[in-house]
Amino acid sequence: MIAYVSVGLLGLLALSIPVGIVLFLLGFGIDTFFSNFPLTRGLGNMVWSSSNSATLISIPFFVLLGEILVRSGVATKTYAALDRWVSWLPGGLVHANVATATMFSATSGSSVATAATVATVAMPQAEKLGYDPKLFSGAIAAGGTLGIMIPPSINLIVYGFLTQSSIPQLFLAGLIPGLALAIGFMAITVIICLIRPDLGGTRRTFPFPQMLRALIDLVPILILFGLIVGSIYAGWATPTEAAAVGVAGALIIAFAFGGVSWSMLTQSLTGTVKITSMIMLIVIGASFLNFTLASAGLGRELTEFMTGLGLTPLKTILVVVVLYIVLGFFIETLSLMVVTIPIIVPLVVAQGYDVVWFGILMIVLIEMALITPPVGLNLYVVQGARKSGSLNEVMLGALPYCLTMLVMAFLLIAFPSIALFLPNALQ
Amino acid sequence: MINSLRIINKGVALVVGFGLLLCAGFVLADIIMRQIGTSFGGTEEIAGYAMALATSWGMSFTLLEMGHVRIDLLRSRADSFKRALFDVFSMIVMSGVVVTIAIKAWPVLERSINNGSRANTPLETPLVWVQIPWFAGWVWFAVMTTLTTLAALSLLLKRRHAEMEDFVGAFAEQETLQ
Repeated sequence: MIAYVSVGLLGLLALSIPVGIVLFLLGFGIDTFFSNFPLTRGLGNMVWSSSNSATLISIPFFVLLGEILVRSGVATKTYAALDRWVSWLPGGLVHANVATATMFSATSGSSVATAATVATVAMPQAEKLGYDPKLFSGAIAAGGTLGIMIPPSINLIVYGFLTQSSIPQLFLAGLIPGLALAIGFMAITVIICLIRPDLGGTRRTFPFPQMLRALIDLVPILILFGLIVGSIYAGWATPTEAAAVGVAGALIIAFAFGGVSWSMLTQSLTGTVKITSMIMLIVIGASFLNFTLASAGLGRELTEFMTGLGLTPLKTILVVVVLYIVLGFFIETLSLMVVTIPIIVPLVVAQGYDVVWFGILMIVLIEMALITPPVGLNLYVVQGARKSGSLNEVMLGALPYCLTMLVMAFLLIAFPSIALFLPNALQ
Repeated sequence: MINSLRIINKGVALVVGFGLLLCAGFVLADIIMRQIGTSFGGTEEIAGYAMALATSWGMSFTLLEMGHVRIDLLRSRADSFKRALFDVFSMIVMSGVVVTIAIKAWPVLERSINNGSRANTPLETPLVWVQIPWFAGWVWFAVMTTLTTLAALSLLLKRRHAEMEDFVGAFAEQETLQ
């Protein structure tokens, strides 16, 4: 059954059948070949119960929040403000790319949206100031991946939903690794630019009063982040409710910046519906596949498989890491996460690992998938925004950041408390 | 035909979008009311129904905007005729699956009608009220995928591959994100 699912999955995906549909097909196959009772009879109920969910409605809310911020021009102001603060470092504006991406990650739940936002704002600056296009665009693609790590994160909501683990705990667990990755990205930029100063463009310093004034532009985003995350941990709101608070906050900010218009609102709303349905087809498909796999006795088969291999828990995790890196070349984030959860998570948990910790490790690994060719969505998004040069430049530029993520993955394995410290401390 | 389908579904998506916005407002109002010691009650339940409806009715818009994620690895390396074959094949499979889902969604509604089922919640919502529009959304999606598949097939037979790629090709990420 494990072989059937793996081969079937890769084969059907390669035929470029939509990912959500592939998951349903595999579920039908499990029903036909491996189950003694007709599982497809439960299909209607699965579709109803997995979409009738107050947890999942936070997805459209967080998408909408991001759409509103992206389309209201807040990003431009944030970028300019961060530029004042970080452009004195070796690598100059590249740090503003990472920092803006980090701030937007903290409010929007999506990586692609984060990368698109920063790319649109930042790209025009790169040529003007003489930056190396490779490093510059690579940093945007990589910085954008933080969107799925730093809370709120749509991917963590989906992970929590499918593995039935606590979403507030996952959010807390993602915070330190997310910030550590952002700092890691900036550190590697400094190192590269110290070795090759010509890559880093002009370093600029700004008078202190200007820097202080720029802070005003950062306040709305910081307040928004505080509202969303704060209301969850103050116990006022569930993640879903916090997302609704975020939507209201984003609308207020957009009003204050003068970015609200009828067309902006309708575009944000239809954009939200489009992304939500895209995610939901995959999530419903995964729920159905999950259900058929569990009913057909995958758990027992996995345990036997693992005992047969005789791997230690550490070796298992290393195999899993390699698996994600390889699959990450070909499958993009959400799909990669959702198609592997039914098999990998039970396997890892059976080895005694914490399900929240593994969620964070998985996020680091699928973040890498976003910027590894040939299928790395963020690479294409950044390339799409810069309209010149070749995709190879973005890929090359993203490479140092890929390595940083790999280091982060190993640090998480060596020191699980990087992720688990906050959830444990605040329990 | 595809253009009219697109316009109709954009309208549907707008309605769904405003519905979601309304739902966000409702959730927000409930949080504020809780702070002053009262509550509508049942927001969770209503949010769940909103999600189920938004999902079933939003699918067709995503389909026509080519938003359902596909892995474009082999396909992107093929010439336009082979790409068209990939696209039509994937649409046929998709219609098959979506029609199956719509058919299997009927027994869920049927049971609620026969038993007069109510949600096991304080609101005791009669499930029929939400399951009828939910079921209709999946039927709508099934009809839309079938029509899109037929449109793609007819263009394939006429060898008008470029036109076909405009509505069943792989994703158009950049456009949608700007």
